Amino acid sequence: MAEMEGVREPEKIQSIDSEYLSGKRFPYQEDISGIEGIDLDALTPGEDLNWLEDIELLEEEGMPAVFDRYSNSFLKIYYEIPEGRENEIARKVLMAHLTSGNSYGIRLKEAHAKFPQPELGPWVEDSKTTGADWKAPVLEGWEPPEH
Amino acid sequence: MSIEDQVAEAGAPEQPKMDERGLVELDDRVPKQAKIENGRATIEAQDMTTRKINAEIKWLVYEEGVKEITVLNPRARHSLGVAILARCKLRFEGSLGYFGCGLIDGPEVEITGRVGWSVAENMMSGTVVVEGNAGSLAGAAMRGGDLVVKGDLGARTGIDQKGGTIITLGNAASMTGFMMQRGRQIICGDVGPGLGDSMYDGTIYVGGEVAALGIDCVPGEWTDADTELIERKFEIYGLGNPPELKKFVCGKKLYNYDSLEPSERKLVL
Repeated sequence: MAEMEGVREPEKIQSIDSEYLSGKRFPYQEDISGIEGIDLDALTPGEDLNWLEDIELLEEEGMPAVFDRYSNSFLKIYYEIPEGRENEIARKVLMAHLTSGNSYGIRLKEAHAKFPQPELGPWVEDSKTTGADWKAPVLEGWEPPEH
Repeated sequence: MSIEDQVAEAGAPEQPKMDERGLVELDDRVPKQAKIENGRATIEAQDMTTRKINAEIKWLVYEEGVKEITVLNPRARHSLGVAILARCKLRFEGSLGYFGCGLIDGPEVEITGRVGWSVAENMMSGTVVVEGNAGSLAGAAMRGGDLVVKGDLGARTGIDQKGGTIITLGNAASMTGFMMQRGRQIICGDVGPGLGDSMYDGTIYVGGEVAALGIDCVPGEWTDADTELIERKFEIYGLGNPPELKKFVCGKKLYNYDSLEPSERKLVL
């Protein structure tokens, strides 16, 4: 189809990864030492890994990656993963991402959460509440109809 | 205090407020009536509406920092304990109606009675333990966490399940694990027809008789990981010794993720 003058085609990408959404990489994607102290059991409810049991090391565009369901994006891992620790590393990278508030889904809460909720979800105790003062966006020039 | 007294005390508005859509905005004031003692709270729900009970729970967890809440007399109301997105312990002394404890992320819930349809639907993480029976669609579209039902389950348990573990000590009705995509189900009793029908992935363990397997659900090979999972979950929830279980998985004749587009693949992760 011929391009129409003045019409901008939306950008088309094959995959959505966290770097695309946030515009940068995070230290725990590049250095394993940043995640070694993470206690997975303590970060999850219940007496075992709970939902992290379903988190496994996957592959995205040829790179080891873990899926962040809170932003629907892959978080690539750029260092060599020791054999036998694949899922553990994936889970720790994901938890570092979520507890630091770097997940794009968490960043969106500030602007779009409609109901009060802890910003950092259930992973960080006493996380600040966000979404308590949401107001419906108003289209410029639009007036609500009279009831 | 009755709901009428609460409204009278707070001063009811003369005209109902309208939201942007022109709909009447319901009274969303938090009752703040729970008894709080040593970081634990008790809500007497006998005369409270569903909205008030849920608002009270969220006020306690999000604003008061209470980590253990007991709700007395839930009276099988629908949609109680929904959308709690923080770590806490929540105990309902009684039964819940439909959609109890749905959309939760983090709470550890105990329900001493029975539950209606769709308990723990869309749970992201946390644990829900039901002492009695559960209706249909228990754990629908669950993405993580544990749902333990000590009684029987209705039909379509774990429909569209995307993660987590569903355990029942009793029987499960027809179409259990229908369109299951990930996660695990442990059914200690018998299962109705259509087990695992159109499942994409995940594992179903059955202790009793299977009336009929659904489309593309086939027996699976038992591994040490299966034994570890079953024994761990039974120990955590004090369920005694697990029965001898048979394992069922997806035959992968109907569908295969490898052929999916990236965006479609993400829907099931």
